[in-house]
Amino acid sequence: MEAAHHVAENATKLQDIAWMVLFFPLICSLGTWFLTRKDRNLTAGFNIFGVVLSFILSFTLFAAYGGQSVECTPFHWLPIEGLDFRIGMHLDGITNLMLLVVTGVGSLVMIYSYSYMHEDKSFSRFFSTLSLFVFSMLGIVLADNLLMMFIFWELVGVSSYLLIGFWFQRPAAGDAAKKAFLCNRIGDFGFILGILLVWSAAGSLNFSELATKFHDNPALLGRFASLAGVLVFMGAMGKSAQFPLHVWLPDAMEGPTPVSALIHAATMVAAGVYMLCRVHFLLALPAAWPHALSFLSWFSAADIVAWIGGFTSLLAALMAVQQNDIKRILAYSTLSQLGYMVMAAGLGAPSGNPSAAMYHLVTHAFFKALLFLGAGSVIHACHHEQDIWKMGGLRFKLPVTFWTFVIGTAALAGVPSFSGFYSKDDILVTALEHNPVLFGVAVLVAALTTFYMFRLVIVTFFGKSRSEEAGHAHESPAPMRWVLIILAVPSWGLAWLPVGSFLTRQFVPGYHAHAGDILFGPFNHNPIAAIFGFGAVIFGFSAAVSCYWNAKTDPLPAKLGVWSRAMRNRFYFDEIYEAIFVPLHDLVSRIAGWFDEWIISGLGVRGISGTVEIAGRALRVVQTGSLQTYTLLFAVGIVFVAWLVIK
Amino acid sequence: MSLLNYIILTPIITALAILLIPANYQFVIRCAALLGSLITACFGLLAFFLFKAGLPGYQFESKIEWVKLGGININYHVGADGIAIGLIMAAAVVGFCAVAVSWKIEKQSKMFYILLLSMITGAVGAFASLDLFAFYFFNELALVPTFITIGVWGRGEDRSYAAFKITLYLTLGALVALVGLIVLYVKGGAQSLDIVDLHAAIAKTPLSPAAQAIIFPCLLFGFGTLVGLFPFHSWAPSGYGCAPSATAMMHAGILKKAGLFALLRVALPLMPEGVARWMPVLAILCVGNLLYCGFVAMRQRDLNLLIGNSSLAHMGFAFLGIASVSVIGITGTVLVMVAHAFLAALSFAISGWISQDTGTLDMGKLGGLLKRMPFIGSVMIICFLAGCGVPGFANFAGEVTVLFGAWKTFHWVVAAAAWGGLVIGGVYMLRAIRSVLHGELRSEWADAHDASSFWRQAPYAILVLALLVFGFVPNLLSDRVKPVAAEIVKQATLKAATPVAAATAKVAAQP
Repeated sequence: MEAAHHVAENATKLQDIAWMVLFFPLICSLGTWFLTRKDRNLTAGFNIFGVVLSFILSFTLFAAYGGQSVECTPFHWLPIEGLDFRIGMHLDGITNLMLLVVTGVGSLVMIYSYSYMHEDKSFSRFFSTLSLFVFSMLGIVLADNLLMMFIFWELVGVSSYLLIGFWFQRPAAGDAAKKAFLCNRIGDFGFILGILLVWSAAGSLNFSELATKFHDNPALLGRFASLAGVLVFMGAMGKSAQFPLHVWLPDAMEGPTPVSALIHAATMVAAGVYMLCRVHFLLALPAAWPHALSFLSWFSAADIVAWIGGFTSLLAALMAVQQNDIKRILAYSTLSQLGYMVMAAGLGAPSGNPSAAMYHLVTHAFFKALLFLGAGSVIHACHHEQDIWKMGGLRFKLPVTFWTFVIGTAALAGVPSFSGFYSKDDILVTALEHNPVLFGVAVLVAALTTFYMFRLVIVTFFGKSRSEEAGHAHESPAPMRWVLIILAVPSWGLAWLPVGSFLTRQFVPGYHAHAGDILFGPFNHNPIAAIFGFGAVIFGFSAAVSCYWNAKTDPLPAKLGVWSRAMRNRFYFDEIYEAIFVPLHDLVSRIAGWFDEWIISGLGVRGISGTVEIAGRALRVVQTGSLQTYTLLFAVGIVFVAWLVIK
Repeated sequence: MSLLNYIILTPIITALAILLIPANYQFVIRCAALLGSLITACFGLLAFFLFKAGLPGYQFESKIEWVKLGGININYHVGADGIAIGLIMAAAVVGFCAVAVSWKIEKQSKMFYILLLSMITGAVGAFASLDLFAFYFFNELALVPTFITIGVWGRGEDRSYAAFKITLYLTLGALVALVGLIVLYVKGGAQSLDIVDLHAAIAKTPLSPAAQAIIFPCLLFGFGTLVGLFPFHSWAPSGYGCAPSATAMMHAGILKKAGLFALLRVALPLMPEGVARWMPVLAILCVGNLLYCGFVAMRQRDLNLLIGNSSLAHMGFAFLGIASVSVIGITGTVLVMVAHAFLAALSFAISGWISQDTGTLDMGKLGGLLKRMPFIGSVMIICFLAGCGVPGFANFAGEVTVLFGAWKTFHWVVAAAAWGGLVIGGVYMLRAIRSVLHGELRSEWADAHDASSFWRQAPYAILVLALLVFGFVPNLLSDRVKPVAAEIVKQATLKAATPVAAATAKVAAQP
């Protein structure tokens, strides 16, 4: 029996090509370092080839398995009795879809970078690190257990750190990289404690085993159920930049724009949402807190997740309204959309169906990557000008960028027939079913999103050019244009594929989409949510047009006064943290340093050395130096030993 | 003759050969030292891979009677179990790297290499010894050159004070441990300090609780001081701060581990009652290492002091694994020990390069060096990321195993360890990278040099490779360690379990 099992485990299976999907990017990353570093074209070709190959293999996996659930041959990384750390992979519909998203967007971003980064001196370092990122991200997607997810979780953080600090000579980039990594680390601190809690209660780290165990016995974690959920959620809080750890994401825009598109918009920041969907069974546990935290007993972990997500999305949307840097607007919009997804995950988890979050994650990956790459194209055209008030009138000069950007904006705003409308509608429906207050927040955020995105489009592309750079702008080179066009297709057209019902089937087996037209489905299925969503778009759009059409400066600061300043300054969160937490940590370390220098070394050593120094001074008459002191002590030691032995 | 004898003898024979070379033939001396340590490293790797995981007892055993005088039996008795073999291998490899990075030592280089090679012999010998007197002898053989090299070839104005401090602490620590060993000799009933005989004797008649109450704390605090257990740690940062890089590499990387090694081999398996009484204390003290030393590291402006304090913080993980007295925790401890051997060696090799080239390690004065030092800078980023526990490097494997091993016994200590490793470690490591490598290049360092030739890069590359190998395939090591750890835990909890079990039975019996 045992032997037969062993053979079965060692036999190569078709799904084991997942190992190749995972490792091709790593091979490219290392290969670049050792082989192709000197040659730009070779480096680019090699890395693009690796990721595209991963994409093709992912496609094969998707075609072969679709929504089926299969296990790959695992690698026993660190097996000890009672704790089998293993690198194992689990393929199901969500994994397969995410593989396509990560490798697909990854390939496109790499092709785009070939043009965008062409002048950079560290071209090869860029590609090598980007491949390392793709490897780490694929590891998160493929992980079949919590520890493997944590391993790649950390690696994603590292590659993000390396890429944000890519232009390390700029102090701001170095600082932003550090900040991003540390915020992630604070989240990971909670994550690992959550993993330990779950492991010690359930005795397993494997997702499917855990799901079964918690399904059979929801009281497995006892009083720690909600705490474990919240601790694990802390990981997502760091990676997906949820309040109160949201401060790193806007600063991360110091990295090159393709990095912002791939990592800080499409994939890495979505990892938190993906993780929440993987452990939704944990969030679904009924509220139970240890005594010290019993004041939270009204909330389950899922409630906390949902409220933090909703709060983040509203907060970030408000901040986005008053930003002027094109990348920052998109960064806050990413924050806000991530809050949306997290909220959906929290709302959907108790009923076992967080598919709305996954759906929005997938569509968002495409249209947000499109928007960022479009912004990159604008920045590239305007000679690295990023202030939208110094642009204007770019629609004729950059036609491809303009039209694709508009498609991305329409998708993000949620205009019907564009992909974003349908995924957002799924979230609105979930919210309406579970929590009317959060439904209101979601609608408000949808209106704000439309408002600030059309503000961005109108100010950047319409009107007259407001600076010399914008006047001389010219369309970006062909690879960049083509990538924008290719990304525009799923941003618009993903809505016409049954992605939503595919994802729902992953959580609710046997689910079938409502019959009828996919395009008008939302209006038939849940007209209230759809009408509110559509109304929010119309409202936001008309407000943006009335405020910004032909505007030379922003009229809002005058109207909103102090609020506008608070929004622009991110409600002063960075300043508050700088004023409280950083000095607090510094103070503790200052005290520790003082204590070490004056008490432990001071009284301890100097005290002893003071007495010995008298002996030392006597010795110094013969010869100076400390070796003699040692010799003396050594001799004393030997005498002592001899005495003990002889006695 | 057993392979271990070759590993122990090669460096000391090389040292004796160098003694015969005239001092002005510096190149020949260096080549001889390199060759000798390279052969040692190869033997070390060979032994590691020839070692068969899971066999009971010791492998590569060899025994020569040494001193037999009245009641005293001292044997040259070497052999390796799964824990020792990893450390022997690490010592041999780090030894070669330490010789390799010392190319700039010109003052009395003959003496320096002789001392360095005897350090290697001492380190390997200590881990290979099965006789505790021989262990102690080899440990001293490695420690004395440490003090001398700091005093003579050290850097900075404080080096006399630092050499004095490290000497004082380590000698006192070793003496306290020696007291424990001698009492063990007297009470052990084996008429020898041979570990095999001791185990056999104590298996028959366990040590009395009174004896354990004396011996165990002596060993714990004596050997603990050698490792830098809080609050007996303050020798480490200042000592390493002033030491020449080869010495810092050997001591922080290898010699320090002898204390942990002795705790695992002697204190835990022989004294279950001492374990039951003192392990909670150790768990609390290691919070001092994990958090307090981490906070102190955050305050440092000197790169070497930062590395020194961070290495104390890493030792906190090793102590935590021991304190957990679980198979998972102790396996984790050994993983941490081996990983830290490479990590500490690499860190001090890097800081050595930087201080050689720029003449300072003050982080406020450095900046933007990555531009001028792509190789050393990249290695430093790799090393410091490994140091704050990034997966893919050996340290992560060890630290995460310790966390899992200790979680069930010490929730709060594990939480502190996670905060120390993930957040505080992140803060000071990234701060160092930010201030040394990132930012604008200062004009003073416009012509700083990178390690560009193959021979200059080799030691760094070897250490990075070692961190990666044990990070990707930690089961290479854990498979060897696991059976030994299981045995240690079995013996350490054997008797201690009895009173508790009896108490539980009593409680259960009362209706």
